[in-house]
Amino acid sequence: MAMKPSDSRWLDWINVVLLVLAGMIVMTPTAWMILSSFKPSYEVIAFPPKLIFTPVIENYVTLSKQTPFLSYGINSLIVTVGSTLFGLLLGAPAAFVASWTRITWPAVVALMARMAPGTLFLLPWYVMFRQVDMIGSYWALILTHAVITLPIVIWVLLPYFDNIPRSIFEAAQVDGCSPFRIFRRIALPLVSSGLAVSAILAFVFSWNFFLFSLVLSNSQTKTLIAASFNFIGEGSTNWGGLMAAATIIALPPLILAAIVQRWLISGLTLGAVKG
Amino acid sequence: MRVEQNHRGQMAAMSMPALVFTVGMIAFPFLYTIWMSFQTYSSTGQVTGWGGDNYLRMVVDGQFWNGIWITLYLYVLSLVMQLVLGTGLALLLFRAKRLPGIVRSLFISPFMMPPVVAGMMWLVILDPSLGAANWILTSLGLPPSAWLASPVLVVPTLAMIDTWQWTPYVALIVLGGLQSLPPSVYEAAEIDGASRRAVFFRITLPLLLPTLVTAMILRSVDLLRFFDLIYITTQGGPSNHSMTLNIYGFRVGFEFFQLGYAGALMVTLSVLVLGAVMAFNRLRAVVEW
Repeated sequence: MAMKPSDSRWLDWINVVLLVLAGMIVMTPTAWMILSSFKPSYEVIAFPPKLIFTPVIENYVTLSKQTPFLSYGINSLIVTVGSTLFGLLLGAPAAFVASWTRITWPAVVALMARMAPGTLFLLPWYVMFRQVDMIGSYWALILTHAVITLPIVIWVLLPYFDNIPRSIFEAAQVDGCSPFRIFRRIALPLVSSGLAVSAILAFVFSWNFFLFSLVLSNSQTKTLIAASFNFIGEGSTNWGGLMAAATIIALPPLILAAIVQRWLISGLTLGAVKG
Repeated sequence: MRVEQNHRGQMAAMSMPALVFTVGMIAFPFLYTIWMSFQTYSSTGQVTGWGGDNYLRMVVDGQFWNGIWITLYLYVLSLVMQLVLGTGLALLLFRAKRLPGIVRSLFISPFMMPPVVAGMMWLVILDPSLGAANWILTSLGLPPSAWLASPVLVVPTLAMIDTWQWTPYVALIVLGGLQSLPPSVYEAAEIDGASRRAVFFRITLPLLLPTLVTAMILRSVDLLRFFDLIYITTQGGPSNHSMTLNIYGFRVGFEFFQLGYAGALMVTLSVLVLGAVMAFNRLRAVVEW
């Protein structure tokens, strides 16, 4: 790259300008959503839209008064936390065994669940859960959402377990340590950061998942994501409320993602990319 | 030997819960859907026997072919935009060297928020009469657009929203690829006096191909099953112009309750996804260095 230094500095400037521009394009729609959620109802539908206004929390207040927003939120938490714990409980030992014995079925199945369309599973689940009268129950939602969380946990944890030197396990084995004890006392503490990343990713994707709760929840167990479909129906008259709902629903995944941002990409690409 | 057996037992016990769950919730339902898709029904919906009726029906169903077309149209359009813009953004980020956490958080925010929320915010922004997008168009002296309500523009608009959401994801993958390229190659190119353009097209791009194919695989899997955003914004409309195979299959299954036919549609879509992944995997083997 035969370049004069002044040339290169000029290009650096263009680079910064383009990056700022890209950042603005990425950020503006989200900023617009948050801004609209704080607009008074008569200003949110003003045309041309107003950029300067007195922020109010009116939309959030009416949202909590006119809709069972809080109970939707609690439903979302029950399903998301439940399925995340379920995924960790089943996935962490399975990933450990898969890493140790080099069996591949957990990874293959996880990949299969990631590739098939949700409706493919939803059709038989609907029949199965109807047979045992579980449609609308928390368990139906937790179990189906665990189909999202379990593959994430296995895929994220596999490389972490693979990175532990095998000599550590072998030494422990010679000392008479059982596999179960090795897992609990040696392997798990060594992958604690992997556990945190997999838990957060599992939480985010379970929280964000729309299709299963759309069909399998009822009015008692409806999650925020499934309820947002109703908000849109009502939102045609109340944009402020719609944007307030959208802001609250987006908040938990965004905060959690910001915490693990550095490890996120390698987790999301199933380890194909080192972040 | 007893100890050895005991160890094997413990290993099996540790993977057993996940195995049981996988068989019950993933493998069995998968086979059940395939089985359902080969059932035949009477006009009243009773199961009458076996056969390829559902698949024959698919071949003559105009809505199925429309679904295939919309799925592929949306897929190719989104994938091309995301790869081109994502690679561009990755090059910008790579040149900037340092990537503070706050900037990274900003760029991951679109794809970590629920697609449903993205749909809600873009519905408001793209509203044909009061939306901010049309306000920008009219203040630039351009005619306003119907966006998601337009039969012609609905797929490009959905592709645009998905591109807004997932381009940073592609960019961060490509950035990972850029950071792993060997610096020695660039030093050699500099000594040889290669031009900037030559360095990009002759060195960076070929070395980056495996990473780009990985990004293509990951995006293909999601894009071919495009669902949430469409269901929230248009539900396949206006007049079926955004009715992808996935949306159509869902509506056949859960609005008309024709589970067998919906199963056949979903099996077909799975084959499509699997085919794309296998094709890209072969491609990756070719471009690997």
